[in-house]
Amino acid sequence: MSQTGNVLVIGAGIAGMKASLMLAGASNKVYLVEKLPIIGGKVIKNEESFPNLECSTCMVAPIQQDVLQNPNIETLTYSIVEKIEGKLGDFSVVIRKKARYVSLTDCIGCGMCYEPCPVSLKNEWEENLIDRKAIYVPCSGSLPNVPVIDSEHCLKLNGKEECNLCVESCAFEAINLDDSDEVMEIKVGAVILAAGSSTFDLSSLPNLGYSTLPGVYAPMEFERLFASNGPTLGEITLRESEKIPESVAVIHCAGRKEQKYCSAVCCMYSFKFARFLKHKIPSASVFNIYSDVCVPGKNYQSFYKSVEGTDTEMLYTSSIDEVQVSENGPGLKVTYSDASGSMTELNVDMVILAAALVPDDDAAELAEIAGVDLDSRGFIATVQDGSGSMETSREGVFVAGTAEGPKDIQNSVIQAESAAGQVMDIVTAEVSGS
Amino acid sequence: MKEFEMREAGQDKNLRAKVGVYICECGPNIAGKVDLDKIIADLSQLDDYQDVELVVKKYGFLCSGPGKEFLEEEIRSNGYTHLVVGACSPRDHDSTFMGVCKKTDLNPYLYRIINIREHCTWVIDDKEKATEKAFSYIRGGISRVLRQSELFEKPLDINPDVLVIGGGIAGMEAALSLSGEDRRVFLVEKTDHLGGISLDLSGLLPGQGEIIKNKIDSVTEDKNIRLFLNTSVETVIGFLGNFEIELVSIENAETTDIMAGAIVVATGSSLFDPGESAHLSYSESDEVYTSLSVEKMFSGEGEARLRSGKKPSSVALIHCVGREEKNYCSGICCSYMMKLAGFFRNQSPDIQVTEFYRDLCLPQKDDQERYTEAEAAGVEFVRIKDISIKGTEVSFEKMNSKKSEQSFDMVVLAPAIVPSADTEELADLLTVPLDESGFFQEVHKMTNPVGTSTDGVFIVGTAHGPKGVSDSMQFARASAGQILTRLIPGEKLIPEVKVTEILEAYCTGCGNCLDVCVYGAIYSDDSRGISVVNEAVCRGCGNCYGSCPSGALRTKHFTNTQLYREVDEALR
Repeated sequence: MSQTGNVLVIGAGIAGMKASLMLAGASNKVYLVEKLPIIGGKVIKNEESFPNLECSTCMVAPIQQDVLQNPNIETLTYSIVEKIEGKLGDFSVVIRKKARYVSLTDCIGCGMCYEPCPVSLKNEWEENLIDRKAIYVPCSGSLPNVPVIDSEHCLKLNGKEECNLCVESCAFEAINLDDSDEVMEIKVGAVILAAGSSTFDLSSLPNLGYSTLPGVYAPMEFERLFASNGPTLGEITLRESEKIPESVAVIHCAGRKEQKYCSAVCCMYSFKFARFLKHKIPSASVFNIYSDVCVPGKNYQSFYKSVEGTDTEMLYTSSIDEVQVSENGPGLKVTYSDASGSMTELNVDMVILAAALVPDDDAAELAEIAGVDLDSRGFIATVQDGSGSMETSREGVFVAGTAEGPKDIQNSVIQAESAAGQVMDIVTAEVSGS
Repeated sequence: MKEFEMREAGQDKNLRAKVGVYICECGPNIAGKVDLDKIIADLSQLDDYQDVELVVKKYGFLCSGPGKEFLEEEIRSNGYTHLVVGACSPRDHDSTFMGVCKKTDLNPYLYRIINIREHCTWVIDDKEKATEKAFSYIRGGISRVLRQSELFEKPLDINPDVLVIGGGIAGMEAALSLSGEDRRVFLVEKTDHLGGISLDLSGLLPGQGEIIKNKIDSVTEDKNIRLFLNTSVETVIGFLGNFEIELVSIENAETTDIMAGAIVVATGSSLFDPGESAHLSYSESDEVYTSLSVEKMFSGEGEARLRSGKKPSSVALIHCVGREEKNYCSGICCSYMMKLAGFFRNQSPDIQVTEFYRDLCLPQKDDQERYTEAEAAGVEFVRIKDISIKGTEVSFEKMNSKKSEQSFDMVVLAPAIVPSADTEELADLLTVPLDESGFFQEVHKMTNPVGTSTDGVFIVGTAHGPKGVSDSMQFARASAGQILTRLIPGEKLIPEVKVTEILEAYCTGCGNCLDVCVYGAIYSDDSRGISVVNEAVCRGCGNCYGSCPSGALRTKHFTNTQLYREVDEALR
């Protein structure tokens, strides 16, 4: 029996969700596998997205709801694909559904179980800027709005204590501490890899002071600091001092030289940060230290122009790779070479580093499981036939979004729809050919 | 307005309204935070409505399997004319309870969900206040539901065929992705050949030249693609699933009528005219060329020569021509200028190539390596603040404000990619708006870049905005994906039912509504002096409803009467 009508999509970010909805709309059965307990991907971490600073949640929540309510999409959160065997039209896939310990059908997301949990841990989803419990949802507004228990740290599950507090607090009998991993095997005709990307490890650049100087921030940390559902409820305060920064430098191209590519989105999010800062702290001075402004496409430069000179002062450096950030009393000192090559100093309270997008931490493992090639940078490679095809080195396996390389939301969506279009094209060909 | 109220109050005057009110306890989430018995008792005693019978009940979890079965049985056995559910956010379970109604004889638009969880019990600690608010909300819901009307879905037959306008690389890719045994494609091209601008390109990626030739052959051989060369689109009327299109031959003015369910616009782009730039004093007769004319030299003759026939020994490549004037970066010029630098160096290894740029924009993941290679190969990169040319004399100011002049054998300009000349005319024809840059505007920049506000019309390739060959083809396949999903041969489309209607007697034909309708769903019937809504196109956004000075418009399921009565009752 042909399995062409079934499709596996890995990753429930904007690319994976859009691809799934398109395939499901044409009556294909979609298995959407997401390693996190929630869907939505990176976009929902941003309160507002460029270029028009639209509310990301308002943009993505309806898509998340459509995915969760679509009868043709089986969304498997907190799950990992372990094996993809077979060939185009007939893949066998093994999926491990990790024990969540909370029933997706019985839990209504009332949140009564968080308070009693005695464990306190850093919330990774919130960039470790706030604590969470062992039973938790990554952020308010999570979808599905059902918590998960971190079995490594839950006192009962790691065998440290006979704690049963969350179970007792649940009025719906939705928590089952005897839950276990479930392994399922499915048959699909095609696969789309949309597992996203990660950000450059900034601690590998000692000149920029990340992880040694508390006033230096990674971009996603700043996004969460600005977010009204984030750790500070949207108040921009410095870590440790809890002061409101009065001067901020955004340093571009962190990791561009090391990665050997331009990530194409950092300039735009840096300008967005300037707008955010001036919006919340009108008295703040904001500087963007840059060497090239990369604002490709019809809508981006006008946003840059609207920010330049009003929300931020643009400081050109002849050598972006040699910018230094150092301690300066309670604040920070940024040293860079200006247009004439002479060294200039700038004192600020806060530094945000515009870090490159890099392959996801699990990209190599995923590529091995999916049996596809990576490119020289570690992203999942496409066939490179010059047509922009989203097919990988393995027939029937496609890639979309930032799993393929750095890109913005628009291009991630285009790749997702393009990959889904290619899958449907194959399905039609297979069906009419058989 | 009286007429409306009467129509809304009940469809059948002979039938006494019987409203079922069901409150979900949601475990302790609702039941624990309000006095449900008091709410039920108070609602049961409401004597606001003559001839209306109220039945008020509570249930543990209405959204559960047994809860839905219970509700279904209650609707059947009690013969309700209307249903109100006091529960959670409509985002959670509106569709759940509409689904329950659909299993019974009760029209799902005679039901209303009232959010007493997120709006009351989750946000109010004081039980008494929460109880009061939940009661008021439900009373408002009862008042509203009594004024709701039955609405019916009207499935429409669709035509799966597609019109593709433009035979360049994007149009061809869309046509090939869509054509099949059960779907014909009409591919309309205004020139006498396929391939578009890509025919002149000297190959951005290895093998791209072959791809274009292969695509042209595939399109020509595809029996499900009907090709119209030397043809333009004259008129378009209709909506997703059913467009009627008139094509006209540019050669002999003969017309052809076709029907299609969707339209893909792949009309490409044009180049900024360097003559419009104040700095450049560009003249065709000098040894100054646009990048495209140099592309043509390399793709045609395989080499670039001066007008004198000699090969240049020095070339200036000037980036960003028109970027300032158009206020956008075309995103591909840096990359192709480095490609041209490579061609020049292959042609004459000793050639001096200087690239004058403002910002290096290298958004594709291979672009930066191309730059590193070019630099290593001896191409000089000069970042400038300002530049002007007079013939082949280049005057420029570097970032450190040093001004210099330099003379070259040849100057090559990278003009911005701009909308093609007939964009505005076509936009009018298709009722698709243009964006600030003059390209076709997508319905949503991020989540739907190929869709337009005219459902069924899609924009791909550089008609959408500046982009390279691979991206153009991706856009084309994305549009194909959307069409394959939405126009399935043999299946019907269900248009929005909560659309706007016009009460002709009240319409003065002022035309306000035409101006605010972003979907092109309203047209003017000049013979009767009124506006008319095409319900198949309307999405029920309500823009026109707010703009009507005479109260002639109303959006079904969101009428003023319904909204005001709900608010009045909730606040009473």
